[in-house]
Amino acid sequence: MPDNDHYVIIGNGPAGNHAAATLREKDKDAKITIISDECTPFYYKHKLTDFIADDIAAEKLMVNFLDSYKVKDIRIRLGQKVEKIDTDSKLLFLRHREKIKYTKLVIASGSRARVLPSMSGYADHLKSITSYTDVMEYKKQIRKAKAFFIFGGDLVGFKFVRMLRSMGKIITILICPNAFWPYDLTDDMLAQITESLLKFNVNIITNDDILTIKSQNGSFQVKTQKGVETNVDMVFSFNGLIPDIEFAKGSGIDIDHGILVNEYLKTNVNSIYACGSCAQIYNRAPKSYTTSIGWPNAVVQGEVAALNLLGDHKVIESVGQKYFDLEGVKIKTTWWEDIDIDKDHNA
Amino acid sequence: MGVKLKKNDCYSKEEKFFQDKNKIYSAQSVKPIVYSTDIRDFGQVAKSIPCQDACPAKTNIPGYIRAVYEKRYGRAYELNRSANILPGILGRICARPCESACRHGEPDNGQSVGICHLKRSCADLKPVSHRIIEGLYSPTPKKVAVAGSGPAGLAAAHDLAILGHRVVIFERLAKPGGMLMYGIPEFRLPRDLLMLEINNILRLGIQLKTNKTIGVDISLNQLKEEYDALIVATGCVSPRKLDIPGEDLENVHNGLEFMKAVNEGQTPFVGDKVVVIGAGFTAVDCARSAIRSGGGDVSINIRKTVEYMRIDETEKHEAQFEGIKTNSLIQPSRIIGDGNKVAAVEFLRTRMEKIDTPPYRISVPIENSQFLVSADSVIAALGQTPNENMLSKDLSILDGVFTAGDFATGSSDVISAIAGGRKCARAIDEYLIGEKRKQSVVRLENHETTDRQRAYDFIGKVDMNTIDMEERLSDSTREVETGYNEDQTHEEAKRCYLCNLKYEIDPLSCIYCSACIDVAPKDCIKMIENIIVNPDGTYGAYEETRDWNKIVSIAIDNANCIRCGQCLAVCPMDCISVTKTELIEIDT
Repeated sequence: MPDNDHYVIIGNGPAGNHAAATLREKDKDAKITIISDECTPFYYKHKLTDFIADDIAAEKLMVNFLDSYKVKDIRIRLGQKVEKIDTDSKLLFLRHREKIKYTKLVIASGSRARVLPSMSGYADHLKSITSYTDVMEYKKQIRKAKAFFIFGGDLVGFKFVRMLRSMGKIITILICPNAFWPYDLTDDMLAQITESLLKFNVNIITNDDILTIKSQNGSFQVKTQKGVETNVDMVFSFNGLIPDIEFAKGSGIDIDHGILVNEYLKTNVNSIYACGSCAQIYNRAPKSYTTSIGWPNAVVQGEVAALNLLGDHKVIESVGQKYFDLEGVKIKTTWWEDIDIDKDHNA
Repeated sequence: MGVKLKKNDCYSKEEKFFQDKNKIYSAQSVKPIVYSTDIRDFGQVAKSIPCQDACPAKTNIPGYIRAVYEKRYGRAYELNRSANILPGILGRICARPCESACRHGEPDNGQSVGICHLKRSCADLKPVSHRIIEGLYSPTPKKVAVAGSGPAGLAAAHDLAILGHRVVIFERLAKPGGMLMYGIPEFRLPRDLLMLEINNILRLGIQLKTNKTIGVDISLNQLKEEYDALIVATGCVSPRKLDIPGEDLENVHNGLEFMKAVNEGQTPFVGDKVVVIGAGFTAVDCARSAIRSGGGDVSINIRKTVEYMRIDETEKHEAQFEGIKTNSLIQPSRIIGDGNKVAAVEFLRTRMEKIDTPPYRISVPIENSQFLVSADSVIAALGQTPNENMLSKDLSILDGVFTAGDFATGSSDVISAIAGGRKCARAIDEYLIGEKRKQSVVRLENHETTDRQRAYDFIGKVDMNTIDMEERLSDSTREVETGYNEDQTHEEAKRCYLCNLKYEIDPLSCIYCSACIDVAPKDCIKMIENIIVNPDGTYGAYEETRDWNKIVSIAIDNANCIRCGQCLAVCPMDCISVTKTELIEIDT
C-alpha cells in the first residue's frame, strides 16, 4: 500500500464512523479523514426527541467525543460540506472552496428530511427533526410554542407527536399516506393509526392535503384543500428521509434514489464505496437495488465497506429490525427481502 | 514562444483586408474592430465560450445576457433571433445544452446560469413596439418548396426568404409548427406565442399551404416543373414500438399520437392508473397531460436511472410537483389485458453496465426479476424515427432535393432542428446561386472591462415562477411557468461570467511581478514554457513552469478565467487587455 493513501469518509454517522474505525484497525498508517456537514461529533439521532423534552442531557446524545477521534488518529472535519466529486482527479470540492485529494472514498452521507415536491414552495416554513443542529435551532421555540401543525407522519413524526403531547402542546396532524415513503399507507393502515393517535387527544386530518401555509407575525396559518384552517406556532414536516447525495450527481457515480452499489458496497467507480442509508444496494434475493435504514444496518455496512475497500470480498447482509411498529401498524422499513410495487399483481 | 493572438502576421492577406476595411472610428475614441478568419480565433471562441459552442445554432449567449443586464431586451431578442428564429418559444422549451456547458456550473463555481429563462425574458420583456430586424437580399427568380413546417422547415424557409428566394411550405396537417404545435403541450408552450413567432417568419412572403402532402396533394412532376429545389423537413413521425406482447391492446397509446390528440383538443382515455414508458421530454409531457386528463396514479417508467433521463432538472421537478412517480431501473416485458383492455404491465428489473462505446452506460435486464404493475392505460413514449417513405426513389431522382432537421439527423431537439434548417438553407442558396454568400468570422473588438462585480459570482440561481397545482388542474392549457419579472431577470443576468470577453496579457510589456496571479480567484494565469495549438485552433494544455529560465510567457487561460477583472485592476503595467469576441456571419 502506498505511503500516501488517504481514505476519506463523507459522513459522520454510524456507517461513516464504523468504516473509519475498521480502516484504522486494519491500516495503522493510513491517513483517514471524516468530513461532516454537521458541527457535532457522532451522536444518537433517534434520541433527539428525548433531548428536546429534556429527558436526556446533551452529553447522553453523544456516541463519540472529539477525543476519541484523536485517539484513533482519525481527522474529523466538522461543519464542512462536500459539494462535488471529481472522480477523475480524485478530488472533493468543499463548499468553502477547499479541495481535498483522496485515494479511496467511502460515501456514508446518510439521509435528509424529505420535502414533498408539492410543498417545495413552503420549504422555508416547514421544520423537521433530522439533526442536532435542527434541534438546537428549534428547541427553545418548541418549548415556548403552544400549537403545532404536523404534516406527514413517519416514525420520527409520531414519536415527536407523543413527545409534544407529553409537554401539553396542542397538535393538529395531517397524515399523508405517502409519508412512509416509499410505501403508501392503505386506508386500513390509516384507520388503525388514526385510532391509535386519538388516544393522545390530537386533531387528526386524513384524506386531505395542504393548500397554503402563510407566515403571519411569527405564527402560521395553514389551509387544507378541503377547507380546514388552523393557526399554529410551528409547522413540522415528517415525510420520511431521502439519501443525501446531491454532491455525487454528475460525478460519474451511478445514482438512482441513492448511490448504486453492488453487494460488496462498491460503486461503479473504482476506489469509491457507499454504505448506510445513502446507499442503494444490489440485493440478489429481490434482484433489485434497495436502500436500508436503521442503526444496525449502517454499522455493518460501514464495516463491510471498509473491509472491501481494503481488498476483502464480503457480501453485505441485512441485519437488525426489518419491521417497525407505526402506531400499531407493522411496516417494513427496508424493502430488502422483496419489493412489491403492486402487491395485488405480484408475479 | 508567445501566445499573443493578435499579431499582424497571424492574419492572411484576406483577413488583413477585413481588418483595414472594417476599422470603425467614433468621435470619442478609436475602437478598431477586426473580423478574423484565423482558426485560432474560432478555436478560442469554441473553448472559451462553452455555452455558445454547445448551442447547435451558436447563439451569442453572453452577448444577449449582457444586453438583458443592460435592460436592452429588444436588442437581446434580436441577438437571439439572429441565430435562432424562435426565441420566445426556445425560451420555454429548449433542451438547454448551453446550460450543461455553462462554466458557472463547473465544480467550485456553483450552478449554471439560467440561460433559457433569460432567453424567455428577452421575449417577455421586449417593448410592445419592438422592431424585428431582417437583412433582406434582393429577390432572385428561384423558387424552393419546403415539406414540413416544423422548426427545421421554418428556419430553412426563413433564411431562404431572407436570401431573396420564393418559398412555399407544404404542411400535411391543419396547422403549422410540426412538433411545436402537435407534440408539445400548451401548458409548456402557449399557442398564441407559437403563432406570433411563426407569423414573424411567414410575413417575409413565405407561402404556407396546410393540409397538403407532397406526393399526394402535389405531384412530383408538378414539383419538378415549378420549383428549383425541395427541402424534406418532415421530422420524425414514426413512433418507436415497444415490441412486446400486448402492445396492440386497447388503451395502449404511443406518445406522439397521444400528445397530438391532446393538442387537438381531444381527450384520449387514460383512466386512473397510467403507466408511461420513456425517459425523454415526450414521456414527461405525456405524463403531465395524463394528470390533467384525470389520471390519479401516473408513473414514468425508465430503464436507467433518473440521472440518465433526457430532460432538464426543471422538467423533473415539475413532474414530481404534479405527483408523477418515476420508477427507475425497470423495463417492460409484456402488457397484460383484461379482454381487449390493458390491465397490467409486466416489468423486468435492470442493472447498469459499462460498455466501451457510447453511451458507455447501458441498462441490462435481470433474468427472472419480473413483477406486475396494474394499469388502466399505457403510453409508450420511446421517441420517433423519420418516415423513410418520404424519400422514395421517385423523389430522389429530382434535382435539388435536400433534407433538414430530424428527418436528416434522426430525432433530436428543437434548437438542433433550427440549426439544421439554417445550414440546409445555406447549402441550397449555394446550389441555386453557384457561390457562397455568407461566411462565419470572429468579430474582435477592444473592450473596456465590464462593471461586473466579484460578488455576482455568489448569487444563487433564480428559480422560475410557476402557478400552483389548483390552477394547473383548473385549466389544463394554462402555462405553468410564468417567467421572471424584471428584477429577477436582472439578478440572474448578473450571474453570467461574460465568457465572450477575452483577457490577454501582453508578454512584452509584462514585468512578471505576479500581482495578477496573486489576486486571481481561479488558477487561470500561468507562467508557461509552451502551449500546443490543436488542429481545430483550440489551445491544448498550458505547459507551466516555475523555472525562470524556461518561462517564455505569461498567459491567461480563458477556459478557466471567470472574467472577474481582478488582474486588470492590479496590473501596474497596464498590460492586460480585454477583447470582446463574437462569432458572426458576414457577406463574402
